[in-house]
Amino acid sequence: MTTTVIKYVGRTTDFKGKTLWEIVGSLKNFGVGRIIVRSVFERYPEPSFMKIVKVETCPDEERRRVRVWVEKTFRGKKLEKLTEIYRTSYKPDYKLIPKHEEANLLKSIKDVHDFPDVILPRTIEMPPLMKKFIMKDHENKGMENLKEYVMPLSYNSSPNRVARIAEGDEKPTVQFTMGLGKPASPSLYEGVPLN
Amino acid sequence: MISHNSILKRTLPMLMQCAEAHRKPRWLPVAKSKIFRIPKRPVISEEERIELLRINNNYKTQMRAIKRFYHEEMIKEKSTLESASSEMSQQLEAEEWERCVKINDTWNAQIAAEREERRKKELQEMEEFALARMEAKDKELRDRIAKASEEIREQKKLSSTFITPENLEEAIDKALANPVDYNFAIDLQGQQYLGRDTPIPTKEQKKAATNN
Repeated sequence: MTTTVIKYVGRTTDFKGKTLWEIVGSLKNFGVGRIIVRSVFERYPEPSFMKIVKVETCPDEERRRVRVWVEKTFRGKKLEKLTEIYRTSYKPDYKLIPKHEEANLLKSIKDVHDFPDVILPRTIEMPPLMKKFIMKDHENKGMENLKEYVMPLSYNSSPNRVARIAEGDEKPTVQFTMGLGKPASPSLYEGVPLN
Repeated sequence: MISHNSILKRTLPMLMQCAEAHRKPRWLPVAKSKIFRIPKRPVISEEERIELLRINNNYKTQMRAIKRFYHEEMIKEKSTLESASSEMSQQLEAEEWERCVKINDTWNAQIAAEREERRKKELQEMEEFALARMEAKDKELRDRIAKASEEIREQKKLSSTFITPENLEEAIDKALANPVDYNFAIDLQGQQYLGRDTPIPTKEQKKAATNN
């Protein structure tokens, strides 16, 4: 197959590559065993790639999509379960890794993470007004005041989660507060008194 | 034709412009002239992007925690309410029911008394109205009878002059003896000359009559 020259028209996009069907449809045995990469996940320092395990084609009405099951490695961590790609298979953001580069990519995974373990806290302090409100409410109802005004945090569950939620009395490595917090880029706050 | 002055002195301007911004309503599709317009992509510096990401993530975490807290509180409250209603407060509820029934009864009695009073008043009014109507009717009947009897009396009085078979001959004789002629002539001055045989005076005779 000759390489096509792509001429972009209209709005710009962050995506870079082809749709999954464009890759898989032109490979022998639908590319089972080959490795693909989503260019959006290349922003992380650790390697992220997917190995195709099973491919199912779609009816004519869904000609941009394909159903693919992959072994996913996200940020150097291999997920235990197979991942199905269907809803996102139309995105022109996939890249095929040539066979001679596959070994290099697999080798780049380290047994130990090179990023520090992040442990997320289970609780967060209440905002000041809420604290006062609850204090008054308890007074009105004649209940005892709470010792510490904290409430549980909830996190969205995702198989891609890198950070771990603290278990038991584990000390979290990050703290969430109800304020502005420590600015990520202090240069934006020049001349502004924080706190 | 409109005069030049009236155009100059008019109160409203001939052309009017709307001050509001001209905008496409939300539900209309993209304008034909804007189909191929490509909006410029906003450029955000790396520093700002990181900071905005951090702030937004913080905000979402905080809001999720608050939402969860209140959601759980609501569920807790609901469950306590339900458990309370199922066991202990049944007696309380019965007492409350009793109390409500009592209040309802007193209200009903009060309203019944008011209704009775109102009914009595209404009945009396109705009676009065009926009586007044009957009286009016009676009066009207009496008036009519009086009027009719008056008429009868008059006619009786007149009946003495009626022509009967007994005095028919006499009446005919009387009519023949006194013939009445209703014809008349009229002159230019509006004077009437009764009767068919009345002599009409000539002009000279009239003049002579006026001179004398």
